[in-house]
Amino acid sequence: MNLPERIDPAQLARLGSLTIKARVIVEGALSGLHRASVHGSSVEFAEHKEYSPGDELRHVDWKAYGKLDRYYVKQFEQESQLTVYVVLDASASMAFSGGGIPKVEYAGLALAALAYLVIQQQDKVGLVACGDRAIETMVPPRARTTHLHDLLGVLDTLMTKGAKGDESPAAALSRIAELARRRRALIVLASDLFDDSDDTLKLLAQLRAQRHDVTVLHTLDPHELAFPYDGLTQFESLETPNKLLVNPAAIKKDYLARMDAFLTKCRGTLAAAGVDYHLVQTDRALERTLLDLVVARSRLGPGRRAS
Amino acid sequence: MGFLAPLMLVGIVALAVPIAIHLIGRRRARVVKFAALDFLMGTKRRTARRFRLRERLLLIVRAVACAAVAIALAKPYTSCSRKGPQVTRGPQAAVIVIDDSFASGYLIDGQPWLKKAADECRRILQQLGPEAEIAIVRASEAAEHPTELTRDHLRLRDQLLALEPSARPADTTRALSHAAQLLAASSHARRTVFLASLLAKHGLRPNDPPWGKDGPALAVLELRPSSMANLAVTSLRVDADPGAGSRGMAFDAEVANYSDVAQKVELSLTIGERVVARGTLDLAARDKRSKRFLAALPPGTRATDASVAITSPNDALAVDDKRWVRASLADRVRVLLVNGDPRTVRHDDELFYLEAALRPGDREDSGTFVRTITAEELAGIEPHARGKAGAIDLAEFDVVVLANVAALAAERATVLADWVRSGGGIMIAPGDRFDPAAYDRTMLPLLPQSLRDPIDTTWGATPQDRDSRALHLVKWESDHPIFAPFSKTAPELADAKFFKIALLGPTTDTADRKVLARFTNGAAALLEASIGTGRTLLLTSTLDRDWNDLPIHPGYLPFVQQSIRYLARKHGSFGSTEHAVGSSVALATPDLKKLEVRGPDNVGAIFEGDRIIGRTSVRFSRTERPGVYRVTGTDKAGANGVRDELAFVVNIDPRGSDLTAAPPSALPPSGTGGGSSPSDESRRIELWHALAAALLLLLLAEGLLVQR
Repeated sequence: MNLPERIDPAQLARLGSLTIKARVIVEGALSGLHRASVHGSSVEFAEHKEYSPGDELRHVDWKAYGKLDRYYVKQFEQESQLTVYVVLDASASMAFSGGGIPKVEYAGLALAALAYLVIQQQDKVGLVACGDRAIETMVPPRARTTHLHDLLGVLDTLMTKGAKGDESPAAALSRIAELARRRRALIVLASDLFDDSDDTLKLLAQLRAQRHDVTVLHTLDPHELAFPYDGLTQFESLETPNKLLVNPAAIKKDYLARMDAFLTKCRGTLAAAGVDYHLVQTDRALERTLLDLVVARSRLGPGRRAS
Repeated sequence: MGFLAPLMLVGIVALAVPIAIHLIGRRRARVVKFAALDFLMGTKRRTARRFRLRERLLLIVRAVACAAVAIALAKPYTSCSRKGPQVTRGPQAAVIVIDDSFASGYLIDGQPWLKKAADECRRILQQLGPEAEIAIVRASEAAEHPTELTRDHLRLRDQLLALEPSARPADTTRALSHAAQLLAASSHARRTVFLASLLAKHGLRPNDPPWGKDGPALAVLELRPSSMANLAVTSLRVDADPGAGSRGMAFDAEVANYSDVAQKVELSLTIGERVVARGTLDLAARDKRSKRFLAALPPGTRATDASVAITSPNDALAVDDKRWVRASLADRVRVLLVNGDPRTVRHDDELFYLEAALRPGDREDSGTFVRTITAEELAGIEPHARGKAGAIDLAEFDVVVLANVAALAAERATVLADWVRSGGGIMIAPGDRFDPAAYDRTMLPLLPQSLRDPIDTTWGATPQDRDSRALHLVKWESDHPIFAPFSKTAPELADAKFFKIALLGPTTDTADRKVLARFTNGAAALLEASIGTGRTLLLTSTLDRDWNDLPIHPGYLPFVQQSIRYLARKHGSFGSTEHAVGSSVALATPDLKKLEVRGPDNVGAIFEGDRIIGRTSVRFSRTERPGVYRVTGTDKAGANGVRDELAFVVNIDPRGSDLTAAPPSALPPSGTGGGSSPSDESRRIELWHALAAALLLLLLAEGLLVQR
C-alpha cells in the first residue's frame, strides 16, 4: 500500500472551507486504494455510480465502460445503511496547542473528513459535540449531501469558536446511546479523555457492549506527551482556575510517568471492552490518521461491521 | 566590629541583584495554558514544597554570597579583650614567672590551676620563638631559681610539664625580683616578664617593688578565676587537759573561711590512725573560728601524731584542709623530794601524800620521775656531780621539793640557789621542823619572802570549834598555770581546811614576787618568785596533813602536779615540735650513731658516719611536704628503735591559704622593656578570612542546589 504524502495539519487548516479540507484529506488518504473498506454490499443491483477513488475495481461495470467510455461502478441495494456518529470533544482542554494546531481543530478536521467519506458512501452521519454545557450541539444522522454541508458547518463553527467548557464526552455518549438504541451505529469519538472521572471510558465500554462499533481517536498534543518545557514556567489550567509556577525539569519525570499510566489505562480499558483505540498526535498527518482509521476498520471482521 | 575598607561596603547593594533576579524571574515566568494540569498538580503536591524551599534557599544563598563578597572586601575585624598578653616572636629576653605555691593546686573544673597556667606558659613559650632567651622562675616561697636565660626551649617545656604545686605559700615579689635580675643581665633590647600567678595578696609586697620604671615589661596572664573561695585549718594547738585525766588533751583547731559566703564545715580529729572526734563549725563570710576537741591519748602511748581535717563540698583547695600536731604527754618531770620528817609509819611520813600525787598508781607513764632523799642526804648535793660516788647530781632534776626541811647549811643553800638560778625550780613547804630564825640565816636566797613563826588558828579551840576556826584558800590566781585546772571558787581547793600556817616576814632579793593564793584571813598561802632563770614556790603550810587536810581533797593532786610542772617549765612543751614547710629542723642526737628521718611520700634522710658522730644535733631540711616525720635511731650499742621524742610534724604556712586578690596597684609597674608595651588589652581579629571561607561554602551550596 502506497501511503499518501504527508499533509501538514497546520497547512491544511489554512485551506478554505471545511468541505474542501475534508475532501483533501479523504482524497489524500484514499487515492490508490483499490477497495473502500467502509462500502456496503448486497446481492441486489441498485444503480450505476460514476467511479470515484476508493471504489472497488471489481464493481466497475466494464460493459458500460465499453459503451460509454466512462467508468461506472455498480451499486447494490444495501441491506441496512450505516449510521455513523462523530463525537467531538470541544471542552476547553481540547483548545490546547503546543505549537501546532489545537487539538479541537485537529479532531474536527479528522471527523469532518470521516463525515465526508461516510456521506460519499451514502451512509448516515451525525454529529454530537460536548464541552459547553450551555449549548447542546447535535446534528442528527442523515445521508444526504446537503446534510454534509450542514454538519460540516456546525463543525466549522465549533472549531472556529474554539473549545470551551468542561463538559465531559460522557454526556454526548449518553445521548448517542439513547438515539442509537434501536440500530447499531459506528461511533467515533475524538477527545483527549481528560476527564476527572472514568465516566467516558465506562460509557464507551457500555456502547460497545450494546454492539455498537466504537472508535476512539485519543487526540493529544505532542507537548502533552513529551513535556518539552524548560525554565521557570507558569502552567495554567484550561478548564479550572488552577495555576502552577514550577521548574518543569523538576517535575518532568513524574509527569511523564503519570501520563504514561493514563495512556496505559485508557488503552487497556478500551481494548478490554473491544473499542477501537487510536492515539493521535496533532502533528500527525490527518490523512494518515484517517487511513489508519479506515484500514483498522477494514481489518475488522464482518461481525464488527455495523451494516 | 569595624572595617578596614568601609567604602567597600557599598558593594552590599549587590545583595539586591539576586533578589531582583528572583522577583523578575518569577514575573517573567513563561505562562503556558496546559490541558493536562491535573497531572502536574498531582506531581506538584509532592514537589512544590521542595521546589519552593529550594528556590528560597537559592535566593538566600545567593543573597548572602553577594553580601559576603562586599563585606569581605571591606575587611571586617573585631576587637576583643585579650585573654593572654600579646606575644611577639623574635629575638628577645623573657622570663616566665609561674605560681607554684600550694594554692596553685586549686581545682578549677576538676583540674589544678597550675596545669592550666603551665599550658598557657607553654603556649607563650612556643609563640616567643626559638630566638628568644627564656627562663622559668617559680613563684613559691624559697623556690630555687635559674641563674641564666636559655634557648633550650625543649628543657623549659619539660620543666613546665613537670611542674607540681609545692607546699609553700607564694612569694611573687621575690620571683619577680629575680626575673628582673635575670633580664638585666641580658643584652636583648626587648625584655618581658610573663606572670602566671593567682595574684594572691600575701605573695605581693607593694612596698618592695622588684624593679623601677626602667624595668622589664610586665605581661600578666589573666588566669585567676573570678572567685577563689577557700576553707583552711590555719592553726592547731594541743594542750594537756588535766580535767580529762592524766592522758587528757585539748586540741584547738582554728578554721578560716576565705570566701564571701557563709560556710558550714565538718571537722574530724584523728589521733594516730583513728578518727576519735567529729564536729561542725558555722563560719560567716571572711570568718575565723576555733573548735576545741577533748580527747585522751591511747593507753601506753606517751606521744603520737594527731590531725584535724575539714571537709566541705565547696572547697577547691585540699592541701590546707588538714593540719598535724604532735600530741605528747607532758615530758617526764624529774623531781627530787627532800623529806624533812621521815617516818616509819607510811601514812605519817611527810611525803606520803606528795609521792602519791606525783606518781598516781605508781605508773611509769605518770610523767614524773621522783627520787626521795632525807634532809641529811641533801648534804651531798652537787651542781654537776656526774660519776661521783654518793653524790646527788642536781643536773638530773628539774624540781627540788623541800618538805618540812630544817634550815640547810649556808653552803648547801648556796648550791641550791645557784642551781635554781640556772633554771631549776624549788618548792618549799614548812612543817614542824621549820625554824624561822634558822631560815632567815641561811635560806633567804631560796625564799620569795622571809618566814615568821607559824600560827595555829585552832589553838585552844574545842574539837567542835576546830573546823569552824580553820582557814581556807581564797583569791587564788585562776589565770596562773598552777590554778588553770580550777575555777575561781573550785570546791576541791576551797573546802580544804588549814589549821596552821607560817606567816611571812620581809621580802627578799628575789624578783617577780607574787602571791598566788591567800587564806581567808588574808595571809599569803602560796608565793612565787624568780631567781635568775629559775623559780621558787613557797607554800606557807605543810604538804602532808600535819597543818591542813588539803592532801585528802580532790584539788591536791592537780595542784601539786601543776606546781611541779610549772616549776619544771614543762607547760609550753606541747606542740613545740611543729614546723613550717621548708623549715630546718634540729634533731638532738645524744648517743646515736645513726638517725633516719622519714616524712610523707617517703621523703627523708639518713644521718650516719661523720654527719652524726661527735655532734649533739643534726639538721633536717627536706621538709617540703606537710605531714608527720618519724625518726628512727641506732644507738652506739647498736639498738635500733623508733624515737618518738624526736618525731615532728610539718604544716603549711597558713598565710598561703588566703587567696584574696591583690589590688592592681600591688603589681610592679610595667616598664618599657625596650619594646612595645604589652599592656594593650585589646586585640584585633580580622574576619575576612572566615568570610572568604564562608563564601566558598556558599558557592558550593549554591552549586549543589542548582544541580538538584
